[in-house]
Amino acid sequence: MKLSIERAVLLKALAQAQSVVERRNTIPILANVLIEAEGATVAFRATDLDIEVLDRAPAMVERAGATTVSAVMLHEIVRKLPDGALVVLAADAAAGRLAITAGRSSFSLATLPREDFPVMASSEYATNFAAPAPVLRRLFDKAKFAISTEETRYYLNGVYMHVARGPEGTVLRCVATDGHRLAQIDAALPEGASAMPGVIVPRKTVGELRKLLEDDEAQIAVSVSETKVRFATPQVTLTSKVIDGTFPDYSRVIPQGNTRKLEVDAAEFAKAVDRVATVSSERSRAVKLTLEDDRLILSVNAPDSGAAEEELAVAYDADRLEIGFNAKYLLEIAGQVDRENAVFLFNGSGDPTLMREGNDMSATYVVMPMRV
Amino acid sequence: MNSPAPNIRPVIRLLDEAAINRIAAGEVVERPASAVKELVENALDAGARRIAVDYAAGGKVLIRVTDDGCGMGPDDLPLAVARHATSKIDGSDLLNIRSFGFRGEALASLGSVGRLSITSRPRGEEGHRLVVEGGRMGAVAPCSAAPGTVIELRDLFYATPARLKFLRSDRSEASAIAEVVRRLAMAEPLVGFVVTEVVEGEPARVILRLDPENGDFFDALQRRLTRLLGADFTANALRVDVEREGLHLSGYAALPTYSRGTSVQQFLFVNGRPVQDRLLYGALRVAYFDVLSRDRHPAAVLNLSCDPERVDVNVHPAKSEVRFREPEAARSLIITGLRTVLAQGGTRASSTLGTATLQALRPEAPRVYQMDLGARPSFTTLARAYEAQAPAYPPPGFAEMPSARVEPVAEPSSAPLGAARAQVHENYIIAQTATGIVIVDQHAAHERLVYEKLKAQRDAAGIPTQALLIPEILELSSSDHARLMEAAEALASLGLVIEPFGGQAVAVREVPAILGQASAKALLADVIDELGEQGDAPSLKARMDAILSRMACHGSIRSGRQMRAEEMNALLREMEATPLSGQCNHGRPTYVELKLSDIERLFGRT
Repeated sequence: MKLSIERAVLLKALAQAQSVVERRNTIPILANVLIEAEGATVAFRATDLDIEVLDRAPAMVERAGATTVSAVMLHEIVRKLPDGALVVLAADAAAGRLAITAGRSSFSLATLPREDFPVMASSEYATNFAAPAPVLRRLFDKAKFAISTEETRYYLNGVYMHVARGPEGTVLRCVATDGHRLAQIDAALPEGASAMPGVIVPRKTVGELRKLLEDDEAQIAVSVSETKVRFATPQVTLTSKVIDGTFPDYSRVIPQGNTRKLEVDAAEFAKAVDRVATVSSERSRAVKLTLEDDRLILSVNAPDSGAAEEELAVAYDADRLEIGFNAKYLLEIAGQVDRENAVFLFNGSGDPTLMREGNDMSATYVVMPMRV
Repeated sequence: MNSPAPNIRPVIRLLDEAAINRIAAGEVVERPASAVKELVENALDAGARRIAVDYAAGGKVLIRVTDDGCGMGPDDLPLAVARHATSKIDGSDLLNIRSFGFRGEALASLGSVGRLSITSRPRGEEGHRLVVEGGRMGAVAPCSAAPGTVIELRDLFYATPARLKFLRSDRSEASAIAEVVRRLAMAEPLVGFVVTEVVEGEPARVILRLDPENGDFFDALQRRLTRLLGADFTANALRVDVEREGLHLSGYAALPTYSRGTSVQQFLFVNGRPVQDRLLYGALRVAYFDVLSRDRHPAAVLNLSCDPERVDVNVHPAKSEVRFREPEAARSLIITGLRTVLAQGGTRASSTLGTATLQALRPEAPRVYQMDLGARPSFTTLARAYEAQAPAYPPPGFAEMPSARVEPVAEPSSAPLGAARAQVHENYIIAQTATGIVIVDQHAAHERLVYEKLKAQRDAAGIPTQALLIPEILELSSSDHARLMEAAEALASLGLVIEPFGGQAVAVREVPAILGQASAKALLADVIDELGEQGDAPSLKARMDAILSRMACHGSIRSGRQMRAEEMNALLREMEATPLSGQCNHGRPTYVELKLSDIERLFGRT
């Protein structure tokens, strides 16, 4: 195999591939990226056995072929090469080396045979549809903060993507929860998606997917089966196993009867929460909200370090209410609000609280209070 | 197995007395050491002041217990070896047992499994002897004897060869005998014990000699424990003497820094009776829980005495288990009692540390020259002389050295931890006290202080809980379920709110907020295990404490930070004021004290 490729193109393709590779590996081949050159394209493939990324880039291929080489090292080398350089990759199968030359720099990296590289078995996808990148971006971005990191409830370690009945008909919905809070984001159902099986997209996949969604104009081809999900742009194909588990029936925990309504400027609210939480020394950072007659008082009382209080003018006309929350949870859900005011719907001080962005019914957040 | 012929029905018959006694012996006497235990307990019940135990071949050939107790008359002797015959209770009140024995089984059992001879003489009367062999009683014959009782048991288990086969080697049976006597001796410092090994009919070797101790019970006990457990133990043990609601806990508990890798140095007694009771051992562990890491075990000798009516000793034939009428009271007395004692001993680190340090420092070869002790200048004179020699300004070469800065700050050296004199290697504070020097590990010490402060804060503010959006549902076994629901209220006060969820399921509704997203399921599994084992769940608190401890570690002064004299002295004063500051969160010492006499020994000045 021998090819030459422009440094910037190579770097972009490798960046995506190497981020999938786990830093610490017990299987040496998994630290490598598979380079396949044919025609006028070079393809880079990397996997951690759960996620596979295939990245294609145009190149001048002199001699077709394939090899594998350390993904992190190749990426580091290319990153440090001067901008605009033309990089030549030449594999010497007999010596087990890949020569990398650019200008006066030359490197030689150990290779492993391409036959050893685990290529993810291709499977039949039951559903294929196309969705605009911004739509997917919104669905996953707004849900991912609530993904659980706790390993025993593995079925919560991802975003549940499925077709659901929303208030205005059938929607494509993403839900994530960690048992303390929940995010439920809806988008118009793309054509051809109605028969899609519900899948739990793992957290790492959500992170990798995000890199495919930067281009506002792009259409993303989404393929879903019971066990796998694939997101593809013309250059990049991201294939991932989905979490083999049943996502809990989240609809039961979304409160329907919360009537005490608070409307507040989300940015002002978040800043105030952040300010008062400063005096809280404990890890859980409890913040108390006291609501009465268009006034919201945020307070923290840490017996040893001190106390803080801030008052905000808000819209609230229900009965007086005192309720405590983890400051981090409040900051994170307030951070999801882009343009509108944050609308909180409370019931009692021990009940789940609902939050929406203005009158937008397509995004719903639930957060459980703290007893302080 | 031989099955009987199908048509012959086996006949049910009453066993004869000898067989009954042999079966009972199986429960009471499983090895020579248990025979010794029964006999020594009898001697103690007889009010003996001196008890001698002789044995041969690990007790298989001979066990002889001689006491100077009240003795038995000729009429009592045949009754003594009859089953369920005892002088110790009258049978009307099994709940009020004040003696070691009460089942009236021991002598009958021993007489059925060996050749038993009892020689006894009450004070001021004639001596008599009775011999029992394989369950058959001989006649009572007069004989000469010293006041007291001598019980001789020869050829133990000769009548039950099956049991004989299962005995261990002579050596391990012998060490079990010594262990039994040691245990009993711990609770009875006022009684003398001698254990002698007999070879070919002649006393060959004194295994254990414990003279009766006199005076105040605690002083006597301390001397007895010094003999039994070594001076290290008593030098590092705190006296425990607490009483509450009619329960009295007394004895000695070692400082956390004198912890052990196993639980071998834990000796618990109930009304002087050695027990192996899970409830009590569990309580002991909980009491030390906060100051020891999980793999270390406290050392302690404790006797819990109470009105015999409040404890049932008739649970186990060998009486090694007891049942309390109010187990919670006994448990909480041990926990809170020990914690109070430990907190008071807070600024006392193990003196073995100082000794260990000295041993590490001492030169290999013994010193041969000695100073003239009489002409030796006093320490203060020496100190003044040293000060006079010290340069007024540090020489330039020394000023470059960052370590070992001398801090001449006026601070009373009368405080227990003294005045900080220097910091060396940016981690150790050297302080001068009235009687020696103290070396403090600044990181470990400060970590402990921060930890104690965080805990105090938490206890003052209560435990904030995080409600769960999706309650964790767990299916449990019915016993676990019942146990958990019983403890539900106590757990709720610690921030773990659970509710029954139909059938044998429980729902976890709220968890302590400090645990973040920890798995409620794993937490509950641990809690249930501990509820089963100890009737309490320290692991919930332990998890929270572990997080506080981690926070403390991050929020404390690191090794390698230079401290000014004011800071060092402030740290020392805070350590004095904080309970349990003698060890870090992992049970390691935070400081070591070297007495002036220790230092002098180092230089051969003793």
